[in-house]
Amino acid sequence: MSEIALTESRKDRRRRERLEERDAAIPVELYGLKRGTVTLLTTCCVLFAVFTLIPIVWIVINSTKTQANIFQSFGFWFARPFEFFHTFANLFRDVDGDGTYSHWFYNTVVYSVVAGVGATVLAALGGYGFARFEFRGSRLFFGFIIAGLLVPITLVAVPLYLVYAKVHLINSIWGMIMPSMVTPVGLYLMRTYVELSIPRELLDAARIDGASEVRIFFRVALPLMVPGLMTVLLLSIAGTWNNYILPLIIFSTNNLFPTTVGMGLWLQHAGNSGDTNLFPLLVMGGLMTIIPMVALFALLQRYWRGGLLLGSVAN
Amino acid sequence: MSETALKPAATTVAPPSTGGKRLRRSAYARRRGRSGLAFVTPFMIVFTLFMVVPLIYAIYQSLYTTKLIGGTTFSGFANYSTVLKSGPFWGGVIRVVIFGGIQIPVMLAIAFFFATTFDLGVAKFGRFFRAIYFVPFAVPLVVSSLMWGFLFDPGYGPFNRLMNAIGFHNFNWLSNNWMVPSIIIIAIWEWTGYNCIILYTALKSVPRDIVEAAILDDTPLWRIILRIKLPMVRPAIIMLVFINTIGAMQLFIEPTILNNYQAGVVTNTYTPVIDIYSTAISNGEYQLGAAMAVVLAVVIIAISVTSLAFRNRRRDFA
Amino acid sequence: MAAISLRGLTKVFATGTEAVSDLSLDVEDGEFVVLVGPSGCGKTTALRMVAGLETITSGTVSFGDRVVNDVSPRHRDVAMVFQNYALYPHLSVYQNIAFALENKKVEKAERHRRVVATAAVVGLSELLARRPRNLSGGQRQRVAMARALVRSPAVFLMDEPLSNLDAKLRVAMRGEVLAVHRSAGAATLYVTHDQNEAMTMGDRVAVLRDGVLQQYATPRELYDQPANLFVATFMGSPEMNLYEAALDSAGDVVLGTQRLPLPGAVLRGRPALAPYQGRKVIVGIRPEDLDVSTDGALGAQARLVEVLGSEQYVYFSIDATPAAAAAGADGDGLLATGTPNGVARIDPRTQVRAGERVTFGVDPVRLHFFDPDSGAAIA
Repeated sequence: MSEIALTESRKDRRRRERLEERDAAIPVELYGLKRGTVTLLTTCCVLFAVFTLIPIVWIVINSTKTQANIFQSFGFWFARPFEFFHTFANLFRDVDGDGTYSHWFYNTVVYSVVAGVGATVLAALGGYGFARFEFRGSRLFFGFIIAGLLVPITLVAVPLYLVYAKVHLINSIWGMIMPSMVTPVGLYLMRTYVELSIPRELLDAARIDGASEVRIFFRVALPLMVPGLMTVLLLSIAGTWNNYILPLIIFSTNNLFPTTVGMGLWLQHAGNSGDTNLFPLLVMGGLMTIIPMVALFALLQRYWRGGLLLGSVAN
Repeated sequence: MSETALKPAATTVAPPSTGGKRLRRSAYARRRGRSGLAFVTPFMIVFTLFMVVPLIYAIYQSLYTTKLIGGTTFSGFANYSTVLKSGPFWGGVIRVVIFGGIQIPVMLAIAFFFATTFDLGVAKFGRFFRAIYFVPFAVPLVVSSLMWGFLFDPGYGPFNRLMNAIGFHNFNWLSNNWMVPSIIIIAIWEWTGYNCIILYTALKSVPRDIVEAAILDDTPLWRIILRIKLPMVRPAIIMLVFINTIGAMQLFIEPTILNNYQAGVVTNTYTPVIDIYSTAISNGEYQLGAAMAVVLAVVIIAISVTSLAFRNRRRDFA
Repeated sequence: MAAISLRGLTKVFATGTEAVSDLSLDVEDGEFVVLVGPSGCGKTTALRMVAGLETITSGTVSFGDRVVNDVSPRHRDVAMVFQNYALYPHLSVYQNIAFALENKKVEKAERHRRVVATAAVVGLSELLARRPRNLSGGQRQRVAMARALVRSPAVFLMDEPLSNLDAKLRVAMRGEVLAVHRSAGAATLYVTHDQNEAMTMGDRVAVLRDGVLQQYATPRELYDQPANLFVATFMGSPEMNLYEAALDSAGDVVLGTQRLPLPGAVLRGRPALAPYQGRKVIVGIRPEDLDVSTDGALGAQARLVEVLGSEQYVYFSIDATPAAAAAGADGDGLLATGTPNGVARIDPRTQVRAGERVTFGVDPVRLHFFDPDSGAAIA
């Protein structure tokens, strides 16, 4: 008796998905495109891809150069000496008194992960509550939260700073993390996701079986919400990772800076004083900031592709 | 099978009706409602503490003025009056409006163009291209401004050399005339991929049989795209216009970073948010800054709402 | 020259599934042909190949004398009504119907005339300004038909257009679909999984199963002379009763412990039965061919009686082995022991009680015989 595979291997599944995707799409020929148009369109795609990659290629290549070379050599090809590892090592040193990049990097990771997880938890609970429960004012509250999107960042960040001053939260990690856990977009995404993927009947059946609401949430709803959760997690982590204004305003100690603010500071000093060797660090620091996010998006592709669809479902 | 197959799915559940005769909800339903409230409460608490409270505090503060002599006094709308009369502030507002007015349509057009191309299945390696286009979304704005700053650098940037090579000597990408267009280029670089993916996903959700019906009717491709697919992704486009407008109006990072590559162009009233930052933080006039922020919020709301209404009406005639 | 000709039409998908195998049939001009079969039998795939929406793996599709395999669906002059109607949601009914005409650059006045005329044919004259989301299912269905009708195509294709309607509406709409067909005057290929629709609507019906054509004939022929077990059980409701039996050397049917004598005249009229004497066969009896009679040949135990007013169904068991499993129709037969293994449709005024022994008479001319191995009918 030959072995029956109980689950599809990943390769087979990918292959099947690709074939199904191809079968599900309308074959190009039916659109009646001329050959010339097809080549033209493909060329446009290539051109835009080049445009997209130009700065990335630049930063990768120039992370290997000395400061002099960054400015003098041809931007898009390498030049000796090859300084990649040297510059990389410098990221771990406090180069000109402003702080150590590696420390900023660590901060960024902490802020992003904690805020990301926190945001996801709040959005999941809230989205579930708004989607599947009726209570007085639910519509009002939800509208209120979505209106929060319209509020400019400074209208929140500046007074936050003032409020923090009063409660001694300036230069506190939580002062950065807590506001970052508020994501109206995340809440909207989760609510839409719950509406689409958790049928009311399922919850009613569980209630009839006598399960408590908490149990229902963890055992019935949450497993179904996973793709949506991953999307919100990803977007919150990325949002916090890339945040500049909030930490700029509320932190005055260099030690607490995330990489964005730290590099902004470096850039200011480099520009002002023509300081030695900050530029390679800036380039390298920028590269190091990009890589984790790109990797994260690439790894979790399966999840956010579907999640973004919700962003386009009718408002 | 339901006859209402084409009706949009119900969104929010209406709260029990009030007025006249009150619907008595059973105790069970009320208890359920309370559970719902419990689920929502954590988010609401954090939201209130870290968004609503600062907001209210800001509005409250905007009504006061602190002077070196005389301390903090209630000044009513004095700060607002200052803001409304401030030429540089409104200059900044106009600047971002122009910026958004050019950047957003151009970027959406490009994003829609590529989204359609991928949806048609024309480009052979659609997935590959889409992945590349999405990379800028993973790059922090600070870093992308950094990279483009180097590229645009007036002294040593490769783009400058390019212009020289073509024959435009002394072309400065970051000069007064070209700073905003350069930022537009950067913004297009940053956001097209994200918009493209959202539009692509929306296009893919157009039911296949509608397009097949159009093909059987011998509809030319341009007509399929413009009169069938485009109207059907209208909700996505509206949402994107909305989000992009709010973002464009709050332009801050790109000019601030680029300032380090070319001094003198980016003033501290270059954009409204820069103005707010320098007023509130750099100058310490946080009450005036708060008033500015409130005014900016009103402007953003006004523009977003009118752009939505405008789009709605236009499309109805299509 | 047939309006639509399929020869050896085959479709194999990229994933390896063979959806349609070697399908050949003709549709005459103005004929209404139904493709019927259970879900997944390939009928929709075949239809889509005729439309040009699905590529053809092998075989040909011809309209008249023109082979259209390589002709784009845009130029085949084919109109299709989709199962989910495929109406343009952002256009009004008028605009939906006018859409195809706009493509052909028909002049505005002429366009208007044709749209209004077509709307009148399907009864939509009052609804021209509405959007699809404000229409009922039946109304949307009519818009879909009007949209196809207005093009005056050479070929009309319909993919289960009534499936999404509730039962009562479906029956009412059958007549309307046929009226539209007659008004169009074009050859029509209609796909459905409902054998009722096939029987009542088709001029000729093609029964498909797993991509293979089982039989292509008029409804009457399909009913009275099914080509195999599948067609026999698929058409007709309630299903034909099937039992494992044998023909003895005298030409009588041995059904379990009972004997159904076959008169010589009957045997002579069916020469194909001769080789089966002394061998096993599967015998089929339509429920309406059984009536309760005291000198009937078939004794049975009545298990359940359903009185419907205009008729009665008696569910009975006889001690013969039912052959329902052999038919392979995806039926939900009752096969557990002790439960009925046959159903008879009898006169509503006859008194039968559950639990009684009854005797059924059956006209031997109306017996159906099938080869137990191949399932093919023994003519």
